[in-house]
Amino acid sequence: MRKPVSVFMIFSLILIVSGVKAQDNISPQRKQAIDSLALEKVRDLSKYISIIGDKQTPWSDAQRVIERAVELFMENSEVGVSSLGRQDVNYYKVREYFDRLMQLNYDKVTIDWYKIQYVSDLVRQPDGTYVGVITIYQRFQAFDKEKGLVYEDTTKKDITVYVKRKETQIGGRLIGFWDVMLGDIRVKETSK
Amino acid sequence: MRNFVAVILALLPFLVQAQGSIGSFTADETMFYAQTKQVNQFFLRFNAEEDTRGNRLYPGDVGYHDLKARKKYLEMLFDNSSPMINEDKKFVFIEDALNKRNPAFLDFYSNNWFAELSATFHYKKEKVNLILYLKIEKQLQGYKWVISNVYFDRFESWFTHIHDTLNTSHIIHPMSHELDFMNIHKAFREPENIDYYLQRNYQPDMLGLFVMEVKNGNLVFGSVNTVKFHIFQIPNWYFELSWFNRNSNNSGWLISNVLRLTDKEKKELMRNYTQVN
Repeated sequence: MRKPVSVFMIFSLILIVSGVKAQDNISPQRKQAIDSLALEKVRDLSKYISIIGDKQTPWSDAQRVIERAVELFMENSEVGVSSLGRQDVNYYKVREYFDRLMQLNYDKVTIDWYKIQYVSDLVRQPDGTYVGVITIYQRFQAFDKEKGLVYEDTTKKDITVYVKRKETQIGGRLIGFWDVMLGDIRVKETSK
Repeated sequence: MRNFVAVILALLPFLVQAQGSIGSFTADETMFYAQTKQVNQFFLRFNAEEDTRGNRLYPGDVGYHDLKARKKYLEMLFDNSSPMINEDKKFVFIEDALNKRNPAFLDFYSNNWFAELSATFHYKKEKVNLILYLKIEKQLQGYKWVISNVYFDRFESWFTHIHDTLNTSHIIHPMSHELDFMNIHKAFREPENIDYYLQRNYQPDMLGLFVMEVKNGNLVFGSVNTVKFHIFQIPNWYFELSWFNRNSNNSGWLISNVLRLTDKEKKELMRNYTQVN
C-alpha cells in the first residue's frame, strides 16, 4: 500500500505556485484547488472507514488501514460522538475511534456515504494556518445472522481541515505548496 | 420553499458532478441539500454569497448579494415551527435586512455575535450545567474564539445581596475609620452575608470566578450539550440561531427567535454575553 504522504505530495505539487511569499488571502481559484485537495483526504478517510468497519476485512489488513487513516490526521485529533437519545458528547482519540469501529460486535456492517458534501470557507487562525470544515453524511447498517438488520443510523460528520502553506526544496529551488491535514471530527446522528 | 427544493432537485446531478463527491450511496438527499448544514452556510445563504448549488459566490459573480436571491434564502432560514416568530415579524425583519438603499449583511469577523454553549461540568464532583459565552477575537495573523462570559447558578447565589439597598444592619458604620476599622471583623463573622458590604455598583466577575474554580480543580469539564448563536449585526434587530435536527427540509441552522430592539436594548442584552459593562 502506498504511503499517504506520497499521495499527498503528488496532489500538493499540482498546486505549486511560483514564488514563495506567504499568502495572506486565498483567491477563489486557489480555494477551489485546496478544496479538491481536502476532499481527496476526506475521500481517503471515508474509504478507510468503510474498510475498517467491514467484517470481511482481515484483522491485520484492518490494522494497516487504521495506520493509514491515522496518518491523515493532525496529532491529538479527536472524534466527538453524540446520538439522538444522548445529548452528551463522547470524545475518542481517532485511533480509539477506528479501533472501536473495527471491534463492533455485529455479524455484518455496511457503511455507505451519501453523495452530498459541503465545504466551508477557510478562516485563518492566529498562527497563520487556515481552518475549514467539510460536512459529509454516512449511513451505517449493522446485521445479525438470525435477526437481520438490527441497527441503522445516518450521521452527519463535520470534519476539521487544516491548510498550511509550506515550502520544500526540489532541485535547489524553493517550492511552495499547501499542506492539508484533517483534525477533530464531530459526529451527530441525524433525525430518523 | 417548494421552488427552492425543485431547483435543488433539478440540479442534483450537476451538484454531484461539480465537486466530485465523496460517496456513491443512492438515496433521497433532498433534505440534506436544503438543510443549512453549517453556520458558515447560514451566513453565505443570508448574504447570497452561495448559489443554489452550494457553490461559493464572489464579488462580480452573477447572483452575488442579489436581493431577489436573498429574499428567497431568508424565507427558508427561519424555523417554521417556532411560536416566537410570526409571519408579520418575519416579513418586517426581511424587509429591513434587505433594505434596497442599505441592505444588511452578516460578517463572520464582526464582534456583534456570540456563541452560547450549554455544557456539563463536574463541580466538586457534582454534575452541573453551565452556560459559556464565546466571541470571535482577532490575534496575530488570524482569529480565534474566546470565552467572553459564563453563567453558573452557584456563582449567582454568592451575590444575592449586592443590589440590596434596604439592608441597614449589615454595614460598617461611617465613623469606623476613627477606630482603625477595628469593627470590620464583624463583616466576616457571617460569610454568607459578606456581599452586603460591597459597593452598590459592584458587578461580580463571573469569568474570574470560573477561572479560579477551574484552576483550583473544583470545576471539571464534561461535555458540550447544545450550541446556539446570538446575532446583533442587523440594525434594529437581534436574532438567535439554533440547530434543528429533524427529518425535514426546514432543518439545520435556522433562526429560532427574532426581536426588534433599539440600540440601547441591544447593548443591555449584549452585556449578558460579555464582561464588558
